[in-house]
Amino acid sequence: MDSKEVILLKKALNRQKMARLQAEKILEEKSKELYDVTHHLKEANNKLENLLNEKTSELDGVFINIIDPYVVMDLKFNVINMNESAKVFLGYDHNKESLNLSQLVHPDYMEYTLESFQSLMEVGTLKNYRAKIFTKDRTEKWVQINSSLIYNADRNAIAAQGIIRDITHETEIQELLSEQKKQLDIIVENSPLGIALTVDGYILKVNKAFESLLGYSEQELKQMHVRDISTPEDKEGSIALLQQMNRGEIDNFAVVKTYTRKDGTSLLAKTQVSAVRNGKGKQDYQVALIEDITAQKQLELQKEKLLQELEASNQGLQEYAHIVSHDLKSPLRSINALASWLMEDYKDVLDENGLFNLRQMQEKVESMDRLITGILKYSSITSDNQERTSVDLNEVIKDIEEIIFIPEHVEIQITDTLPTLLADRTKVHQLFQNLMSNAVVHIEREKGTVKIGVKELANHWQFSIADNGVGIPKQYHERIFKIFQSAGTKERSTGIGLSIVKKIIDLYEGKIWLESTVGEGTTFYFTLKKDV
Amino acid sequence: MNILLIEDDMIETMKLQRTVSKLQLKHTILEAKNGEEALDILQSPTQLPDIILLDLNMPRMSGIEFLKILKADEKLQYLPTVILTTSENRADLLECYKIGIAGYIIKPLKYEDYESKLHTVLNYWDINELVKA
Repeated sequence: MDSKEVILLKKALNRQKMARLQAEKILEEKSKELYDVTHHLKEANNKLENLLNEKTSELDGVFINIIDPYVVMDLKFNVINMNESAKVFLGYDHNKESLNLSQLVHPDYMEYTLESFQSLMEVGTLKNYRAKIFTKDRTEKWVQINSSLIYNADRNAIAAQGIIRDITHETEIQELLSEQKKQLDIIVENSPLGIALTVDGYILKVNKAFESLLGYSEQELKQMHVRDISTPEDKEGSIALLQQMNRGEIDNFAVVKTYTRKDGTSLLAKTQVSAVRNGKGKQDYQVALIEDITAQKQLELQKEKLLQELEASNQGLQEYAHIVSHDLKSPLRSINALASWLMEDYKDVLDENGLFNLRQMQEKVESMDRLITGILKYSSITSDNQERTSVDLNEVIKDIEEIIFIPEHVEIQITDTLPTLLADRTKVHQLFQNLMSNAVVHIEREKGTVKIGVKELANHWQFSIADNGVGIPKQYHERIFKIFQSAGTKERSTGIGLSIVKKIIDLYEGKIWLESTVGEGTTFYFTLKKDV
Repeated sequence: MNILLIEDDMIETMKLQRTVSKLQLKHTILEAKNGEEALDILQSPTQLPDIILLDLNMPRMSGIEFLKILKADEKLQYLPTVILTTSENRADLLECYKIGIAGYIIKPLKYEDYESKLHTVLNYWDINELVKA
């Protein structure tokens, strides 16, 4: 080989070397790039995988963590998947047995269910489906379901998912509420009180009684303001009260006011208005209850009038009794005087018989005078002229002993210390005097005693006046307290004394009774209320 | 004394007359049958009575009406007026004392009692010093 050839070869070899170096370098770079890409892809892949994992577990979590029952079904109602909550609620587990949801629906709701499904298929979602279903143990439940369709990659519906809410309790409450509302409506509608709901005086709602009280229909009343049915003179008072209520100063008020009915007649009604306020104290409504008191008022007026008449007639009767007694007593006085003068002037002319007759005449006049006095006293005992002073009975008895005629052989004993009463002195005096004079005159035995005693009861004083006189036969025990009824054989008795006693005791809300044995004596018991 | 008896009942008048004469009292009795008559007497120029005995229940003018007029009169108000009546009506009694009276005597049933009551009244007023208007 010549040198030229060698040089050429060397040159060629060099070029090759250079080219290879270059190629190596490129290869190296490319391979580095490749490596980087691979590495990058690997990382990306990792990331994606993680992401996917995350999402999957997130989804699983969501699925498990949905508190409400969640069910996925195919388009034939067969359950594909359900969460724990759904299993618990329905009592079924789709993993253990096949479950077709249409079989759970209450027969009454089947048609509705199919319609709803149709709508789901058309729209893709279904909200607020409400139906009654049976769970596995055949209990009825109210459910509310919101549901939507699930599509495949070709956008064809393949399944439906739904969240079930158990609204049994809620529905029961609602049913209860509507039942209660119905009951309330019954009460309101049947109330004899007129009831109206108003806002700022404008009528919103009324019951039947309100309609019939005022003669307007509810429709008519709804166009009206309270002032339209109130009489002008009654507006001011109730408007002032309404304003106070609007300012929150009062929550309710009651007035008696006059309303004008549709036919123009008026209605007197007790009206009670209450404010219905919301939580912030602002008032939403006023509830007015009206009660027709026209008849009641008339009765009251009538009663008042009757009372006045009674008072007047009582007064009249009193005066009448006085006038009659005066007019009857005056001639008695004249007769007595004339008889006395006859006796005085003609005692020498008259024989024994004539004098006897004149004395008889005077005696009759006397007994008639007593009778008149008695009737007058009896008629004067009313609560109208009742006085209340402290009356010491010991003094009263002493006074009576001085006034009445006590036969020599009779002794009056006071066995207890007598109380001081808060009462009408004259009446108390009259009461004791009548009983005591009865007691002292009817004693025929040699030594007579009249014992006056007292016993304190819870609300009454119980007195007793006992004699050892002739006694009163049983059959008279009731009668003697009636006016003009006397058991006495004495000519002097008028039959008024004990009826006066009874009348006074009645005024003091007491009772009177007696125990008596003929030939041994009589004890009168009577009670007087301490505080009359 | 000069006594003016205002009384519509004749027997009552006789009772007073008889009492005065029987007890030999030296009194003169002027009679009036009712309040109007009595006022006529009092307004006439004759001498005024020393006392008045007045019945309450009378026709035309009642005793209380008369009493009111009497007590409203400047001069006549000083005449002692004693009521002589059968009325035990407390309302009458209170009314009379309210207007002003010199006594309230209830006519007793028995004439003897009347005599003694009137004797006491007349004796009492007999020893009294009077205004004698």
